[in-house]
Amino acid sequence: MQETTRPGRPARRRTGRGFGRVLVTVYGVLAFAAIGRSSYELVVKFHEAPVAYSLSTLAAVVYVVATFALAIGSSRWRTVAWVTVGLEAVGVVTVGALSLADPGVFGESTVWSGFGEGYGYVPLVLPFVGLWWLRRTGTRAAAGAGEGTAEHTDEERTA
Amino acid sequence: MILALLLLVVALCVVLAGWAGWFVARDRAVILNQLWGGAVIEALILVQGVVAIVLGATGSGAGDPLLFWGYYATTLVILPVAAAWAFAERTRWSSVVLLVASLTVAFLEWRMWQIWTGA
Repeated sequence: MQETTRPGRPARRRTGRGFGRVLVTVYGVLAFAAIGRSSYELVVKFHEAPVAYSLSTLAAVVYVVATFALAIGSSRWRTVAWVTVGLEAVGVVTVGALSLADPGVFGESTVWSGFGEGYGYVPLVLPFVGLWWLRRTGTRAAAGAGEGTAEHTDEERTA
Repeated sequence: MILALLLLVVALCVVLAGWAGWFVARDRAVILNQLWGGAVIEALILVQGVVAIVLGATGSGAGDPLLFWGYYATTLVILPVAAAWAFAERTRWSSVVLLVASLTVAFLEWRMWQIWTGA
């Protein structure tokens, strides 16, 4: 396991670099969308569907934490990223399936209803891309291959 | 909201997205001139805000002001944050970030128009 040019550099690649930049960007946009949605719902019409709007708030918090965790990408935050991205995957599949089985189950639609159809299914795809990325950047074997020049790794991969 | 101004912002976003897309294809990172382009769009969004305040004060504001300003705040924040985030990455992925951010702003402009007109 060589850590050649930069002493002290972690062998695992940072989750916020390379393709991770794009992932964090999309997460950030979704986090903004979810915050906007849930704060509007909480302020204006929480009493109409408390369950749905609580779920929206939970989704918003999870997206925000996941965004920061992936952006920072240190080993501690990597764990946080695993948990939050995993929560999203479970959330979108569970809520999506429930809303499909019974459209009125939560009273109102949420970010995760219909597997995130209101957001172009991005909420469905994103957590699985996130899990893939965490796995890919987390294996030391992947990091070891030419990791000495981390900046070049992504270019080599995409060239 | 003035439709012409909104369409100008959307058009500039599409141009910036195209520019960034070209850079992705050419395997290049974001350059400073692209960020200046983003700054022009940002300035126009600020003008939109002033216009919206004036129109709101004269009684012809958005159908749902809270929703509108929520979207406006998001629209205003996205480009600066994305620009800083993209510029710190010196690979083609930074161009993808700018591409995503530009298209997001264009989409949010469209949503703002929907909310403004009560559609």
